[in-house]
Amino acid sequence: MAIKFEQVSYSYKAMDGSVFSALKDISFDIESKGEFITLVGETGSGKSTLVQHMNALIQPQTGSITIYGIKIDKTTKKNKKIKLNPLRQKVGLVFQFPEYQLFEETVEKDIMFGPKNFGVSEADAKERAKTVIKMVGLDESYLKRSPFNLSGGEKKRVSIAGILAMEPDILVLDEPTSGLDPKGRDNLLKLFKEIHKEVDNSVVIITHDMNTVYKYAKRVLVMNSGELVYDGSPERLFFEGDLDKWNLDLPEIIEITNKLQEKLNIKFDEKPKNVDQLFELVKGALR
Amino acid sequence: MNIIEIKDLSFSYRKNTPVLKNINLNIKKGEWVSILGHNGSGKSTLSKLIMGLLKANEGEIIVDGIPLTEETLYEVRSKIGIVFQNPDNQFVGVTVEDDIAFGMENLEIDREEMVRRIDLYSKKVSMNEYLKKPPHQLSGGQKQRVAIAGILAMDTDIIIFDEATSMLDPKGRDSIMEQIRELKEDGATIISITHDMKEAVYSDTIVVLKEGEILASGDAMDILNNKEVLNASNLELLLPLKLLHKLDEANINNEEMRDILWQLSLNK
Repeated sequence: MAIKFEQVSYSYKAMDGSVFSALKDISFDIESKGEFITLVGETGSGKSTLVQHMNALIQPQTGSITIYGIKIDKTTKKNKKIKLNPLRQKVGLVFQFPEYQLFEETVEKDIMFGPKNFGVSEADAKERAKTVIKMVGLDESYLKRSPFNLSGGEKKRVSIAGILAMEPDILVLDEPTSGLDPKGRDNLLKLFKEIHKEVDNSVVIITHDMNTVYKYAKRVLVMNSGELVYDGSPERLFFEGDLDKWNLDLPEIIEITNKLQEKLNIKFDEKPKNVDQLFELVKGALR
Repeated sequence: MNIIEIKDLSFSYRKNTPVLKNINLNIKKGEWVSILGHNGSGKSTLSKLIMGLLKANEGEIIVDGIPLTEETLYEVRSKIGIVFQNPDNQFVGVTVEDDIAFGMENLEIDREEMVRRIDLYSKKVSMNEYLKKPPHQLSGGQKQRVAIAGILAMDTDIIIFDEATSMLDPKGRDSIMEQIRELKEDGATIISITHDMKEAVYSDTIVVLKEGEILASGDAMDILNNKEVLNASNLELLLPLKLLHKLDEANINNEEMRDILWQLSLNK
């Protein structure tokens, strides 16, 4: 078990003194291999606070998190013996709009920054930069370019390469595709899936897009008002979950299939996962 | 009547790398135009040029009969409001009320009228109960609604939504779409920059940009159904239309099915 949350709660104090409870009594585990998890829930439901706990960027106020054998709780901050830096290498967190955080003169230096920070030698960090730039679908010529002259999609890829260069076991991404056009979004998700297969890591992706969840995830976590209200397969979520209460949409394919069945007054034998499968069902029904 | 006329407009940030090339576009008063295109197609640059936030290298922009120049900049800007992508980047006030008032203060509107408009437009966007709250406590959708109220209070005829829903959750997005539909009914001219086809469905006209040029423009229904144009600009057909295209390709013609799929595309 790579990460174990045990009854974790966390609240923020607002400027006017009121207290906002961001996480309430959260318990679940993440394995260090083979997971492809999406984390969903409406704005303000606690998703970002939750992932910032995954590499101890924030520490729980009550309860505890065990990350690769190291127990983190409210006493951790004062305990000088606990080194949090290695955890941040194991669990790589990519913030929303990571492209705003590029700052070096060249793409290469930007990618090398993380590994060097964790004690990797200059030469090794350079080698890693060469490897990861290709992993994110860009060629080596990008390494010598300034990050500021890249397109939005390219910047996103470079900043993800910077995290990959730290060789994390678990890759956590906070809304990585927000602001991308449909093709750019699909390309990036396919990339995460490929990396996941190639290096056998675990991936956690925050998203609002239920199509992404249905198409890519093996496991879904749903946050609602600071509580973890669902942990299971996308199929069970969309066919049995309380979507209205949690303010979640249906994936487009399920929504359209449902409406089609209603309008045609028929019931398909299968539940299509994509438009090709739906086409086959419709073809059969029209025959 | 055209409220915006764009003639032979070109723009580049750097030499030899044009961002917009020879754009010609007319927008009618009261029309809802969606501007679609891939990342980097020049959509947002176009909105910044219309607002006079950037200066064109070539060509002309005429807003409500006034050619946009350095002399007319403020007059033109007073006719256009813009709601940006990131709701967190457009707040200046300590309270929601201050924020709605901000644009009006720039227009030097007197106090009594300001109070009247804050009341009117905060009710219009259903944010009247939040007037004394600090904006950072609001959800993304609520913040965008406050931004819209601020623009309405300035009494602009034209409102640009620059990917205004792309960072919102579904509930936030729906509430903004509802708001835009109401604005359109009240006679506003809407320019919506997006790559969400579900939003473009509601517009009258769609313009598709590709690498700085207009690839296609026309009646929304025609463009929505044009697979080649959409794919060329990294966009996708709506799912029911994708299905319809597959049926067509397989020579399966069923009128009832065609009607149903179009209804589903248009959220009916």
